[in-house]
Amino acid sequence: MTRQILEYHPVIGYRFIPNLKARIPHEGGGYLIQTNSSGFRCCHEFKTDPTPFMKRVLLFGDSYTAGDGVSNGQRYGDKIEALANAEVYNFGLPGTAPDQHYLAFMEYASKIRADLTIITVLVENIRRIAARYRPYQNEQGNTVLFSKPYFTLINGSLELHGVPVGREPIKEADLPEQSREFVDTGGRFASLRKIMNRVGLKDLTQRALHYQPLPEYDDPQNSYWLLMRAILEKFIAAVPKPVVVMPLPLYQHVEGTADPSGYQSRFSELADSNPCLVHDPLPSLLKYSPTERRSFRFAQDIHPTPAGHVAIAASLAPVVMDLLGMKKVT
Amino acid sequence: MSKTVLGISAFYHDSAAAIVRDGEIVAAAQEERFTRRKHDPRFPKNAINYCLEEAFIEPSELDTIVFYDHPLLTWDRVLKSCISIGERSKEQFTKACASVLGIKIWVQDLVRESLGSLGKLDKLLVTEHHMAHAASAFYPSPFESAAILTLDGVGEWATTTVGMGEGREIQLLQEIDYPHSLGLFYSAFTYYCGFKVNSGEYKLMGLAPYGEPTYYDLIRKNLIDVKTDGSYRLNTEYFGYLHSLRMTNERFETLFGGPPRNSESRITLREINLAASVQKVTEEVVVLLVRHARKKTGCDKLVMAGGVALNCVANGKICRENIFDDIWIQPAAGDAGGALGAALLVSHNYFGIPRCVRDDGRDSQKGSYLGPRFQPQEISAFLERNSYPYERVISLENRTRIIAQAIAEGKIVGFFSGRMEFGPRALGARSILGDPRRKETQSVMNLKIKHRESFRPFAPSVLLEDCSEYFELDSESPYMLIVAPVREERRLPTDLRQALRNGVDILNVVNEPRSDLPAVTHVDYSARIQTVNPYDHPDYYRVIRAFKDISGYGVVVNTSFNVRGEPIVCSPSDAYRCFMRTEMDLLVLEDCLVWKRMQPESHHDSTWQTEFELD
Ligand SMILES: [Fe+2]
Repeated sequence: MTRQILEYHPVIGYRFIPNLKARIPHEGGGYLIQTNSSGFRCCHEFKTDPTPFMKRVLLFGDSYTAGDGVSNGQRYGDKIEALANAEVYNFGLPGTAPDQHYLAFMEYASKIRADLTIITVLVENIRRIAARYRPYQNEQGNTVLFSKPYFTLINGSLELHGVPVGREPIKEADLPEQSREFVDTGGRFASLRKIMNRVGLKDLTQRALHYQPLPEYDDPQNSYWLLMRAILEKFIAAVPKPVVVMPLPLYQHVEGTADPSGYQSRFSELADSNPCLVHDPLPSLLKYSPTERRSFRFAQDIHPTPAGHVAIAASLAPVVMDLLGMKKVT
Repeated sequence: MSKTVLGISAFYHDSAAAIVRDGEIVAAAQEERFTRRKHDPRFPKNAINYCLEEAFIEPSELDTIVFYDHPLLTWDRVLKSCISIGERSKEQFTKACASVLGIKIWVQDLVRESLGSLGKLDKLLVTEHHMAHAASAFYPSPFESAAILTLDGVGEWATTTVGMGEGREIQLLQEIDYPHSLGLFYSAFTYYCGFKVNSGEYKLMGLAPYGEPTYYDLIRKNLIDVKTDGSYRLNTEYFGYLHSLRMTNERFETLFGGPPRNSESRITLREINLAASVQKVTEEVVVLLVRHARKKTGCDKLVMAGGVALNCVANGKICRENIFDDIWIQPAAGDAGGALGAALLVSHNYFGIPRCVRDDGRDSQKGSYLGPRFQPQEISAFLERNSYPYERVISLENRTRIIAQAIAEGKIVGFFSGRMEFGPRALGARSILGDPRRKETQSVMNLKIKHRESFRPFAPSVLLEDCSEYFELDSESPYMLIVAPVREERRLPTDLRQALRNGVDILNVVNEPRSDLPAVTHVDYSARIQTVNPYDHPDYYRVIRAFKDISGYGVVVNTSFNVRGEPIVCSPSDAYRCFMRTEMDLLVLEDCLVWKRMQPESHHDSTWQTEFELD
């Protein structure tokens, strides 16, 4: 038995079930999750007015930020909170991308006064923003699809679709042929990856081919990137300033089996023309030994381990403290 | 300083975990409920996960972890008994080695590996098996001091112990050791009558009232030697469990006239009378032991645990004999309760946490509602996610009235409410409810809900204050552990024994009404009673109250929420699946009402037939 932890939301698609306390069995031994009354995995209740003598940070992201695999207190957001003596409002939501993060901001955070906003983008989510359906295994053991909200970029203008989000599951077979490419399958080469995992050749193959897992970042005019960029620009414009955008690398980047230059170029272009600071944690993560870097993800699950979260926090904390006008710890 | 202890029982039968904080029971659950495998004996990683969830702590924050059984002592027993029996025991020796050496002495490694930590003490503590049972009986009881009686199949060596508890101290004063075991004695007859050992004992007990103890003398003369103080010795020449994987041997079969009954074949007068006979002998021994415990300890209260303490017919007899002023029995009396006992023992004995007996006279078992709870919002999220039609009735009063009305109309209601029960009985948190007045309730519940035929009637849940109106019972029985007679004036005349002698099948006999509460009255006019007070589970109490307002009866039929062979449901998902596999009319999931008539046809499910085996 595993508790269901997410529930339907008409705008974002879903959120955590509010006021939940659960322990999720996991290869890391299991982890505790606690959600607040707004349905986010955050130990603070969201208040609009400032807390006296306390800086406030809004944090957006996906499962890496929500902390799949680790308990609330072990996440990089909570580590930052401790290091910077600030309250971090964690809006992380597993399985989502900046499109839904922006909608979560509009629904739950647009009135919240804050001193800093952090938008974390797992670089792989350049694919997820294009998705319109997410697969889900139902009680009968069948895979069904649920709609998600999504944006399109047509002639330079962003348009939101699919809100309110449909409640009813869609059978895979009922999905029109032309819509199948919009199902979020967690990466374009999922099936190939599965095969390579099975034969244990994954790392080897990646090294040999100088693996580029995300070619969408290679070209500044790539349609996926243009959509991601437009959403991020809208997001950055809306949130409390200052804004930090943190592209989170894949483990292949951290472990040196994939080339990060594509996404690094795109995100630095984003910083050049927007009121935000891009913090790339990869250079500081690469300073750790290969063994340490491997310990930043679980044996099977690719999400960050507690050590992985500590490393991300260590990289991000000086930036946060600087922007909050606090003294850096030397 | 606060102390949190995790107790674990595993590897015999019915694994479980429990967490105790400063002597207070925080959580306890059996592994089977999570894995959906009945009596699951494997390492209870899911039950542990749940206990940590309820306590909301990391494994590293536990002060210590304790295992309910001493692996080396068990090993000692297996080794010595195998040596004494010699070559014949090879088969059993191999099996025991696999279970004892293969797993038990690696428990510490297993716990560390599974949880990533052994807690602050950084080592696994172990208790003795019967100490864990004794602790589970004494510490949660409402008594400052009490005599303790534990009775089971076998732990390390002991099978029966008499002890005493006072304050936070427990002492075991006497023990009877393997191979002499009242639990195994009863199990041998369970096996011989064609039921499953470790779960079919309940059936044998239910069969006993049909019969007459015609084998009593034979058993007393050949199988068991009982002294006046209740101490006993089995004649091991008749039992198979010492040197094989069978409970009985050829001598046993010769004595009772043939091979064991095949589980699929019809129950004959032989099994019926054997059940009555072995039940009579067991009651006799237990009553003698109880008298002895009274004399030995001088206490006027008694607490009990161990699998034999689930024999609620014997318990009823102990109550009526008035040997003690008051009796308390651990509802998770079997090995699952060992997890709780071990955690309590370490809390009070090792960490020295004072034991607080409640001043209102109630126990500390919290109604045994010690398992997971699901918030209404979790339930509606589950129903929505799967597009199951439901109506949410937030008003407790309206909801209660709807449920009571449905029961009074003869509908069968799946009632899922609050924290799941710890122990083998459903007590109104994961129960199926019906109308006890109706003649057909018994057969409908058996055939359309449980998918079985049964010679056992169901149990009544009765308002505590109304209990004596229906039953001859003047004490509480909150855990359904006591059998008592239906009041004389409610009984209807029958001649069942005669019918049986004339060869009528007992499955036909059982559906004949024997009182104005036909669904809960056994052939000997007894009933396995749960008294329901307003404190432990107020919502359940309210449903019975509302049923009384409509029908005039403060009683409902309560059977466990499962189909035959399935563990009791734990989650909303288990409950919905069970609901759709049966002909239940209404499923109550906290404040969500799910009506069968509103569910899509495609969700009806008959896979239970292949999923679960018979007891
Ligand atoms: Fe036991």
